[in-house]
Amino acid sequence: MDYGEIFGFLGTNGAGKTTTIEILEGYRARDGGEVSVLGADPAHAGRDWRNRIGLVLQESELNPVYTVRETVTMFARYFRRPTDLDAIIMSAGLADKTDERVGRLSGGEKRRVDVAIGLVGDPEVLFLDEPTTGLDPAARQGMWALIEGLRHAGKTVFLTTHYMEEAQRLADRIVILRAGTIAAHGTAEQLSRTLGHATRISFLAPPGIGLAQVSAAVGTQVQQDGRWLGFSSDQAQRDLTVLLRWAAERGVESPISGCLRRPSTTSSSIWRHLPAVPPASAHERRRPSRSPGPRPATR
Amino acid sequence: MPLFLLVILNAIFHGTSSFFHLRVPFAVYYTPAIISYQIMLAGYSSLLIAVTTERERGMLKRLRGTPMPGWVFLAGQIIRTTITVAVTVVVLVAVGSAIYHVGIRADTVIGLAVYTVTGTACMCALGLASTRVCATTEAASVAGPFTTLILGFISGVFIPAPVMPAWLLDAGKLFPLEHLARGLQQAFAMPGSTGITAIDLAALAAWGVAGLTAALAGFRWEPHDSW
Repeated sequence: MDYGEIFGFLGTNGAGKTTTIEILEGYRARDGGEVSVLGADPAHAGRDWRNRIGLVLQESELNPVYTVRETVTMFARYFRRPTDLDAIIMSAGLADKTDERVGRLSGGEKRRVDVAIGLVGDPEVLFLDEPTTGLDPAARQGMWALIEGLRHAGKTVFLTTHYMEEAQRLADRIVILRAGTIAAHGTAEQLSRTLGHATRISFLAPPGIGLAQVSAAVGTQVQQDGRWLGFSSDQAQRDLTVLLRWAAERGVESPISGCLRRPSTTSSSIWRHLPAVPPASAHERRRPSRSPGPRPATR
Repeated sequence: MPLFLLVILNAIFHGTSSFFHLRVPFAVYYTPAIISYQIMLAGYSSLLIAVTTERERGMLKRLRGTPMPGWVFLAGQIIRTTITVAVTVVVLVAVGSAIYHVGIRADTVIGLAVYTVTGTACMCALGLASTRVCATTEAASVAGPFTTLILGFISGVFIPAPVMPAWLLDAGKLFPLEHLARGLQQAFAMPGSTGITAIDLAALAAWGVAGLTAALAGFRWEPHDSW
């Protein structure tokens, strides 16, 4: 990883994301290989190293009796050079809940407190383990805004998630983990191209129009998923134009009454289309890529 | 709770009890006995439950990720508990003195201070060590109070020692509570004695060191599914 980068670790549950991040955080011993975070081996790192990293665990409760300010103050005292408390609380979006007891916060707000605690020591690297799992869509959007703010602030972030959309949106580079080995890695655009699904166009099935008709119109096989029809396209603009023109000619009323998903690959299609990992090349795949540029923060 | 015990036991037992060849009023027997029980309840049982709960909720795991050294956390728990126990002890002594006319000498105060600090430290160390044995909060909620209750009986805290079978009392002497209770009782009951005896203090120290060693070596910071 490089400084100032948001690095995404993507995988289904059980793929080994949390195991990996816990090795990087120093919680878990590794079976083999080398790990270096900020120049130290997390398994043997001391207080100095802990002062330079921040952690947001996947699951950890907060004492419900303390207020937000009291909680953040308490954790600030563990660090040598904590940042300004009010600034941290504000950047976590909790300014109006500063004196609220943590037990009365919503799930999304509690997660923000977790992130504030992770940042309070002014770390060089922040580890975020599944930051939005279990949050409602509004809270998820809020958390994404928070994390994007971290990039602007120049923080280096190691993120694990099982939401492809989250990895694509937030991460500069993504590693896809499958059954404990790296199945694919690269930037979001590279992955889309590698996995061959640039855009998915989905729309509600117009009444009275058959699947075959639509497929013939757009020139590619359209799939049906419940009330939704959809197809993958490498040239979204061209295919959309064809589709809309066809709809206009047929007088089909608002055929696209559903949403157009942003250029992305859905999680399920990722897992279907990843090449199976042959055992022989597993070792080769585990060597991380290192892009030229600023000195690496994590290896 | 300890106040309740003090009141109930004094209501049940009237008159005097024999204690080390002295005849003392039951109040003089029970006030220090209940103090020792309270020390075990707070230092061992409550701490065991509280720390196990925090561990199972992931709070200790998060603390482990901060620069704070592990021993600082453990020491902090002991210090915090000692302070709350000290307050409880003062209240119990005040009640014993005001309502039951238990006499307090200067020696008593010295004995109280020494035993409160060493007794709490010993019980806390054992409580922290015992978190290793309790995987769940439920286990801790049973183990803590139950162990304390059993020791309360065999240490002559609830039932006056002269009334108890000798073999049961001897069994109690293997454990720290009996020594804490006896030491405190001597501080209250024996004129001219601070209650600080070598054997009682040594027993507390030995159990405390054992507990501390076990705690420092085997303390688990993560919820039991990660063990």
